[in-house]
Amino acid sequence: MATAFFERIRGVFARVPRRAYVAAALLVAVLFPVLNTFDVVQTAWIRVGVLSLLFVMLSLGLNIVMGETGLLNLGYIAFFAFGAYTTALLSSPKFGLQWPFIVLLVLSALIAMAAGFLIGLPTLRLRGDYLAIVTLAFGEIVRLTILNLQPLTNGPNGITGIYPPQPLGEAISKWLAGVGLPEAVTNWLVIDKPNEYYYLVLFCVGITAVLLSNLKNSRVGRAWNALREDELAAVSAGITASRAKLLSVVLSAGIAGFAGSLYAFYSNVISPESFIFMQSVIVVCMVVLGGMGSIPGVILGAIVLQALPQIIRESAGAARSEFEVYRMLIFGVIIVVMVIFRPEGLLPDKVWRREVHEEDPRELEMTRQSLFDLEEGEKDLEV
Amino acid sequence: MSLDHIVSVTIGGLTVGMIYALIALGYTMVYGVLKFINFAHGEVFTIGGYVAATTLFALGVKEGTSGPALAGALLAALVASVLAPVAVGFLIERIAYRPLRGRPRIIPLLSAIGVSIVMQQLIIIVFGPTPITMPTLPFATASVTIFGVEVRVLALVIIFGSLLLMGALTYLVRATRIGKAMRATSQDMEAAEMMGIDTNKTIAFTFVVGSALAGIGGLLVLMYYGSLKFDAGFLYGLKAFTGAVLGGIGNIPGAVVGALVLGMTETYGVSVDLGFLAWFVVAGLVLGLYVQMVRVPRRRLQHIAEDRRTPEYERSILNIYRLAPYYAVKTLLSERTDALLSVSAKHAVRLTLGNLFLVVTAAIMFANGSARIDTRWQPVIAFVVLMVILMFRPSGILGEHITEKV
Amino acid sequence: MDTILELQGVSMSFGGLKAVDSLSFDVKKNEIVSVIGPNGSGKTTTFNVITGLYEPDSGDILLKGESVAGLRPDQVHDKGISRTFQSLRLFADMTVLDNVLVGMHSNTNGGLVASMLRLPSVRREEKAMRARAQEILAMFPGRFSGPRQGQPAYSLSYANRRRLEIARALASDPVLLLLDEPVAGMNPMESREVMEQIRALRDAGHTVLMIEHDMHVVGGVSDRVIAMDHGEKIAEGTYEQVANDPRVVEAYLGKRGADTAS
Repeated sequence: MATAFFERIRGVFARVPRRAYVAAALLVAVLFPVLNTFDVVQTAWIRVGVLSLLFVMLSLGLNIVMGETGLLNLGYIAFFAFGAYTTALLSSPKFGLQWPFIVLLVLSALIAMAAGFLIGLPTLRLRGDYLAIVTLAFGEIVRLTILNLQPLTNGPNGITGIYPPQPLGEAISKWLAGVGLPEAVTNWLVIDKPNEYYYLVLFCVGITAVLLSNLKNSRVGRAWNALREDELAAVSAGITASRAKLLSVVLSAGIAGFAGSLYAFYSNVISPESFIFMQSVIVVCMVVLGGMGSIPGVILGAIVLQALPQIIRESAGAARSEFEVYRMLIFGVIIVVMVIFRPEGLLPDKVWRREVHEEDPRELEMTRQSLFDLEEGEKDLEV
Repeated sequence: MSLDHIVSVTIGGLTVGMIYALIALGYTMVYGVLKFINFAHGEVFTIGGYVAATTLFALGVKEGTSGPALAGALLAALVASVLAPVAVGFLIERIAYRPLRGRPRIIPLLSAIGVSIVMQQLIIIVFGPTPITMPTLPFATASVTIFGVEVRVLALVIIFGSLLLMGALTYLVRATRIGKAMRATSQDMEAAEMMGIDTNKTIAFTFVVGSALAGIGGLLVLMYYGSLKFDAGFLYGLKAFTGAVLGGIGNIPGAVVGALVLGMTETYGVSVDLGFLAWFVVAGLVLGLYVQMVRVPRRRLQHIAEDRRTPEYERSILNIYRLAPYYAVKTLLSERTDALLSVSAKHAVRLTLGNLFLVVTAAIMFANGSARIDTRWQPVIAFVVLMVILMFRPSGILGEHITEKV
Repeated sequence: MDTILELQGVSMSFGGLKAVDSLSFDVKKNEIVSVIGPNGSGKTTTFNVITGLYEPDSGDILLKGESVAGLRPDQVHDKGISRTFQSLRLFADMTVLDNVLVGMHSNTNGGLVASMLRLPSVRREEKAMRARAQEILAMFPGRFSGPRQGQPAYSLSYANRRRLEIARALASDPVLLLLDEPVAGMNPMESREVMEQIRALRDAGHTVLMIEHDMHVVGGVSDRVIAMDHGEKIAEGTYEQVANDPRVVEAYLGKRGADTAS
């Protein structure tokens, strides 16, 4: 009886078109800060919102390598760090520079992409779990390097006083400020309030989501999916594995770098503490929880794992540090439970849902291991 | 660079290497039977140490304790450092890994990561975030003088104790029934099952043995350094894993060799002048050149059919490896007459670049002969080794444990 | 007549075992050539060498006169060789249509940026691709109509999966089609249907190199048959010639069988 009831409810929800959900979500997202101006929602929550959105962007980026292409990355936060430090070093008192906002956004993404290329190129032929470990090592090397290169990065103290961005550029902003526009408009010339950051990041995330959604259903996205499903068959069907994988890694690195730049501007202060291995794991957790390969899924995963703990903490009134421990504990439990019982995530991508339940008896027929599996020990002129 | 210094650095390297080896064995054995990297293995190492410390405190061991009371307490600590990790390892395999057998590789790996996080956090919740310490005992800091060099007693205990344990493990794997079952399962699980081997039990046993060794490692580290952090498992685990891969994952002696090599590299790296280290790079270059110019062409020529093996063809193959730079450029610039040769030209380029890199590195190191790598960079050494090994030779030194598929 | 494919003294060893031993043969334009032989005779290894999965130890492979030995599989595919697999390697969790679309990857060029922005050029290309994919699927009349195209590939019947793999191989309009046991596991009716389709492919201008065990099919469509055993070519000719060749009979039935047969 109860199951029939839940089935009815699920049926009702399923009949609502996707577009309606997207529109509703967008509406809530856009109106959120408005509630703050009317003091319905506290500013602290807007801050949670900004961070959540930044993690949404990270999840979207990681989804490309993990969800679409099937490459595990346990050092993803390193690209975030590249972006953040690029921006921080070029727009703060540290070296007394203040490069233009747009330039820094693009440059941060480009530098992260270069890093992605450097790590992607030698790891193209690595098998899944080895790749995971290499990326982990890479992430740690980046963090330790940042920590130790003190003349450049201030080491553990990090970079402080990052200048707030001026989206229209310094010259135009100054001119417009002098023209005599109402304050509501001139406020937006310099982005230094949580609400303003919120809309900036929301805008960037929205565009990213749309672009990536287009990509998913395109020739490029199909190639990634094919590689993930069966690399041998994909390569025999004409897909150049190295190019496709590199593209995927570089793109995802670029998105992380871009997010890192926004983070540096928003956060005003960055330090190596924000780029520890655990953070990479958290992003992985967001993608897995939300649903690998599914754009709405990873968005949900990011928001749940970033905002929910804050909500719980507020209502429980727990101490900060104590809460951290429990938060991580629950994260770990979530990963294990999700992976065992619902590896396709909360809002699964249809293809992934089939794929992760692979040891289904009817699937065994479609076994992919042939006698000529080239995964390990490829014949080569190696030593 | 006095002899004393070298000896003490070597002993230091061996000591830490042996600890890594104890942990690495767990990684390699589990990989051998399941082809799976037990990411959470490092945590049982930490648990071993923590439980041992707790046991010592619970038994009221203090600075003054000595004699049979001390011996008894240490024995209890040893037992505890084995039992707790064993129980944890067994449970993890049952709850978090077994249900996922056969799934795409990413799934069990994620589970292992989750388990690792859970265990670390549980350690913090149960024992607190500050590092756990051991009561100060005289023998822990005692040292003897051998051939004029001062050596910590514990270092010798660790080195020889570990050797003993490895000997026991070798006996277990070679001469007992369960050991044979482990070897069979690691070669071909299906065939082993068909031969009547209970693979589930064998796998569980593998986890148990690995966890026991790692737990003892935790106890030894606790005694050697006097304290243990809750996240020690992460770093030690990764380094041990690096060692296992270095020696050839799935290969038991390989794990020990790789771990020792890593321990030595890591210790030498920060304790010795660059000029001295440069000689190792040179040695590596010489070895590499030997393999490249003698071993590989020989093997390559073996595979070529008799009728194809004209003297000219032989010469050109040999040239690729011996005159790699010249030949690489020449073939790339000339017309491709033989697809096979032009593919080899790519290898010639790679070889040349590799050799060049080593030469340049050695040169830079010699130029800065008296400099020394700061200890802050020590963790990076292991990570760099890990990345390099996985990128260029994932099968490790002693080769991967795969059977030839025809 | 044009020679599409030529193998010159191709050899391939794994460790100590010589899987392919100085194999030489050719395939001419518009021919259907079948390779037969007992299990382990090196047929699929030969395919793997041709398609670039392995690099031959010696010998050369020429596609329309151009050497393709040692190229990567995707490069070999770009040169015009498509294949199916003995053990069926579909993208099981992707849709039927997507499987065929993947086969067209190398003939199309929607780039990263263009795809992200969904530029009109990309949209046009997608439309054309889908139309062409449906054309190819229509080659198997009634099998892949309408809603089935959106179904995941694993939901197809076994015979349909084999057909889909052939469709994917055709998607790139290959110069040479390699079919590895296309009718394995099919009943006689299905085999006959596939036989017709292979003939139709030849009539449409394709060149086919096929590995098959089903002698009805081999005899029914092949212009030429090549028999292999222990990695070597032991006979070549029409089906009748090869089927009655004593060496071939011996390979399949053993010496006594050969004696009884003759």
